[in-house]
Amino acid sequence: MTSHRIDLPCARIDRSQPLSFTFDGIRLAGFVGDTLASALLANGWRMLGRSFKYGRPRGIVGSGPEEPNALVQVEAGANTIPNLKATQVELYDGLVARRTTGWPSLRADLKSLGGRFGRFMPAGFYYKTFKPEFAWRRIEPLIRNAAGYGATPLDADPDLYDHQHHHAQVLVVGGGAAGLAAALAAGRAGLDVILVDESSEPGGWLLSMPNVAIAGKPSGEWLSDILAELASLPNVRVMPRTSAFALHDLNLVQAVEQLQDHLAPAARDSTKPRQRLHRIRAGRIVLATGAIDRPLVFGQNDRPGIMTASALTTYLNRYAVAVGNRVVILTSNDYAYQGACDLAKAGVRVTLVDTRTALDLAWERKARGAGIDVRAGYGISRTHGSHAIDGVQLIKLDAAGNAVPGRAPYLDCDAVGSSGGLSPTVHLYCHDGGRPQWDESRLAFIAPATGRARSGIFCVGALAGEFGLSGALEQTWIIMDEVLATFGKEQARERTHATTTEMTTSPAQRIFRVPDGKREGHGKKAFVDFQNDVATSDIHLAVRENYRSIEHIKRYTALGFGTDQGKLSNVNGFAIAADALGKSIPEVGTTTYRPAYSPVTFGTLAGPHAGNTFDPRRYTAMHACHAKRGAAFEPVGQWLRPWYFPQGSEDMHAAVKRECLAARRGVAIMDASTLGKIDLKGKDVRELLNRVYANAWTSLAPGKCRYGLMLDENGMVMDDGVTACIADDHFHMTTTTGGAARVLSWLEKWHQTEWPDLDVFMTSVTDHWATAAVVGPKSREVLAKVCKDIDLSPAAFKFMDWREGTVADVPARVFRISFSGELAFEVNVEATYGAHVWEALMEAGAEHGITPYGTETMHVLRAEKGFIIVGQDTDGSLTPYDLDMAWAVSLKKAYSFLGQRSLTREDTARKGRKQLVGLLTEQPDVVLREGAQIIESTDIKHPMPMLGHVTSSYMSPELGRSIALAVVADGIARRSPEGVKDGRDVLYAWARGDAHRVRVVSPVFLDPKGERQNV
Amino acid sequence: MSEPLMQSPLHDLGLAARARAIDDSAGTWACERPLAAFISLRGHVSDAAFVAAVSKALGTALPVKPCTTSEAAQTKVLWLSPDEWMIVAPRAEKARLLAALGASLKGIRSQVIDNSGGYTQVVLTGGYATDVLAHTTVYDVHALEPGRVVGTTFGKASLYLRRDGDGYVLLFRRSFADYILRYLERAAGPYGFAVASAETTGTS
Repeated sequence: MTSHRIDLPCARIDRSQPLSFTFDGIRLAGFVGDTLASALLANGWRMLGRSFKYGRPRGIVGSGPEEPNALVQVEAGANTIPNLKATQVELYDGLVARRTTGWPSLRADLKSLGGRFGRFMPAGFYYKTFKPEFAWRRIEPLIRNAAGYGATPLDADPDLYDHQHHHAQVLVVGGGAAGLAAALAAGRAGLDVILVDESSEPGGWLLSMPNVAIAGKPSGEWLSDILAELASLPNVRVMPRTSAFALHDLNLVQAVEQLQDHLAPAARDSTKPRQRLHRIRAGRIVLATGAIDRPLVFGQNDRPGIMTASALTTYLNRYAVAVGNRVVILTSNDYAYQGACDLAKAGVRVTLVDTRTALDLAWERKARGAGIDVRAGYGISRTHGSHAIDGVQLIKLDAAGNAVPGRAPYLDCDAVGSSGGLSPTVHLYCHDGGRPQWDESRLAFIAPATGRARSGIFCVGALAGEFGLSGALEQTWIIMDEVLATFGKEQARERTHATTTEMTTSPAQRIFRVPDGKREGHGKKAFVDFQNDVATSDIHLAVRENYRSIEHIKRYTALGFGTDQGKLSNVNGFAIAADALGKSIPEVGTTTYRPAYSPVTFGTLAGPHAGNTFDPRRYTAMHACHAKRGAAFEPVGQWLRPWYFPQGSEDMHAAVKRECLAARRGVAIMDASTLGKIDLKGKDVRELLNRVYANAWTSLAPGKCRYGLMLDENGMVMDDGVTACIADDHFHMTTTTGGAARVLSWLEKWHQTEWPDLDVFMTSVTDHWATAAVVGPKSREVLAKVCKDIDLSPAAFKFMDWREGTVADVPARVFRISFSGELAFEVNVEATYGAHVWEALMEAGAEHGITPYGTETMHVLRAEKGFIIVGQDTDGSLTPYDLDMAWAVSLKKAYSFLGQRSLTREDTARKGRKQLVGLLTEQPDVVLREGAQIIESTDIKHPMPMLGHVTSSYMSPELGRSIALAVVADGIARRSPEGVKDGRDVLYAWARGDAHRVRVVSPVFLDPKGERQNV
Repeated sequence: MSEPLMQSPLHDLGLAARARAIDDSAGTWACERPLAAFISLRGHVSDAAFVAAVSKALGTALPVKPCTTSEAAQTKVLWLSPDEWMIVAPRAEKARLLAALGASLKGIRSQVIDNSGGYTQVVLTGGYATDVLAHTTVYDVHALEPGRVVGTTFGKASLYLRRDGDGYVLLFRRSFADYILRYLERAAGPYGFAVASAETTGTS
């Protein structure tokens, strides 16, 4: 391969800094300033991959984010990134990249065999061919192997990512001439300005057009002057390598900054992020996103070496790469002429094929003067070459752009550029609902400059249809007057002079698909979307199959999907569809532009929400005490709670057995700090409690506690807990661990919206209190050792009482409540003293072998007593009656409680609802699976009546057998007292193929009279 | 029986062992301001008696404008929401303040709750403190003026944020302390993060 690098001093590469890189294992050379694409082209590289569907050879088409073909895998191992566009990968020394297609090899691709039968793979091929499910199941793995592009990294991502929020008065998106002028206008007016540009250096198309002067200066000098002035303004921040990929409501723009991707992995600072997600909330947004050269669609237009005319120009002027030595440029407009002249000046033999029969005389003269062979009134009908272009067949066109029969020249060439006009980059403008407008004179969907001014969004430059440099600068200054006026400011008087030496242009020809003289589908394939292998014939077929909406045509053909999001293909596709439909382009309209404008890595989106900052992890004040004792932890909501405390080589079952027996027979202790706690104050608290709980609170005296069920509007249990009366106007409510925030919001919502007359204030004190539950027959003795000022005797301190006193020299509230059915005291102290009190209780209980226990033992203990856990035994579909908890419902209250009316609804009150029951397996050592389905018979026929499911299931050490809770249709009536069997109580619990015979019993397995907790 | 041992919410992170005097070696410095008195106060601004009673008990006007603060001696009063305030004071002041508020608000619709175990404060200083906070919260930190307090997001948690001299005070719940400090340290990483010894940060 010969070098295509030419000597061009104005190019943006640094010849003093050569780089070495490898592509597909071959070592190649480039320079600082190169992209991977420009370096590959400089090395004469043409074919980079195979196409998605037909396996056709493909090469580089564009020079930026529009690139559809050159998807590469960069680096290896944990650092690898799939599907980067070679046109956007900045070259660094040692860069390793691979192709992402071509299987088994680039030159002999299996899919290309399929490509020969391409006529049998029309649009909708997969839907049509693999409709029978059995066929799809077999074919899918093969297709998955052949399809797709790069490989996902299998190792954990070693890179850091972060997020940053910004608030700017003006955000400018795009650092081309218009964007820079906009930023300068806003910056000079003293506004806080952020300018983001996705390229390695700002400048946009200016970097590709050195041969024009602005305000009397070469464009490069004008650019460096304006950048220097922007850098001197402290209120302006210019961010290169930052791609704005989404625009949301209320002027929020998300942009990803590539901080270290341009550095070799070894040179990256691993303590700093690789990429940063910026969330920019801006008062005004000035979109200066420019336009992308739209290729013309012609037969066999996908050969490597065929690219957009502007890409040819960019590779020449920005990277000093002459892609070919004999170049054909096919155009329908004047914008391709300057690049053609630049190529000719660089010594390339250029043939300019213009579809127009009448040319702009000035441009034609200039081109001929540069030694260009200009052919007016021709198109390209097909191309020739194997793995790269080597010739094009021209076709004669009439003034209307129709094919004229007869012979036309065949031209040898080694590169082709084409331009069908410019397509403004309207994506961001449309992300939150803006619609682009078709401009027939410009042959483009443009974003009207002030179309969204009321939202604070303004469009300047090529985006708004100002394709010429002079016009773009002038229009930017005018629009910036409006932008500044919204801040009550005026532009500084000395405007940057917008006069340029750019030549004016004549109208472009309205042509998208270059005709080949044949009916669509009969000539050579003419591709619209390269990444998805969508040809003109596919769009015509979709229309023949009666797809009418462009959104449906898109989905049927795959037009515009993929990593390039149709940046080159969309407008051609819309126009070709319009032709096929016999409609105008505005009637067809566009598909919907959605974020992201270009791909963003998951790592960047996740940002700091990874590793130990993935999600808030809440800890109790006693956490270190548990960790010190070797606790295994489990997350409960955001909390981390001790799960069990294994000793020595104990597994969970052994530990839980030991912990359960300690609680039942000696003394055990649990950290209950995570329960939600709400302090309620005011003379109407009782009334509020009456309304939000199903049971009655009017008579609860100070010093007493009561359990309550909280129902939602539908009468379904949503939370439960114990509330203590501190004083007549002061209560302390506890909620479930996971329900704390929801319950507080629920109470506030009802208080604020429906019952503002109630004199109640409530405040979360969840974090203020640390709670240790001392449980078991010996708990009174243990507590007595560290609590001298509360009479703990059964007569003075009854079950469901609470007392204020001192525990371990610390002020405490002690609640005699029990979630285990045992004698128990819950000690609440200020969390500041949590660890101290825990340790004091452990010390006091040492002589009785006090045993810390976690959530697993808590679950077993409460299940033995049939105590529910809201969210485990309930799922939002159970009423108190379904739970057999009518005792916790009072229908005599003056003001109906939330959910009361729903309890009499037909469905809520009907017979046969699922109800909470206990289950005993026939074999006592079988522990049912939670979630096991309850069925009536083992004779399984589909569909099988599902009677319910197991909600909780454990081995009970105290009972020496398994127990389970379940919800079962008509379950309460099925329960049979010990020994009495009428047959309805015998059911089966089925899970993963095993059915176990069970008997339906009361959910209270232990101490049904509740004597243990009352001792 | 040993003396009651008090532990701050960030005790388990062992910050004290990392603490040093502030210098130029890091862009952000954090320091827990431990074990203060935190008193939650609720009441209606429309109730003149409430406002007067609180102002009398605290010796400073109750801040009734959104996001404002007031102070008396070492006591700070932070507006949290239209009917909710946080009183932050040295721990030694707790009993006196609770008693004074209780007496002053007798018979007035209100709530005064000792929440001292539930919160802590971290002081953030250093040349990059503002930039670091911009990584953690959607709030426009640059626009936060002295004398104001805002409740806002911090990663996936929330906190109250106010300026304190050249730095900031972050007020947040005990159980989120570990997450907030880890998140802060992660965000500050690229700027350099260090733990400041208590005496080298502000005092208010």
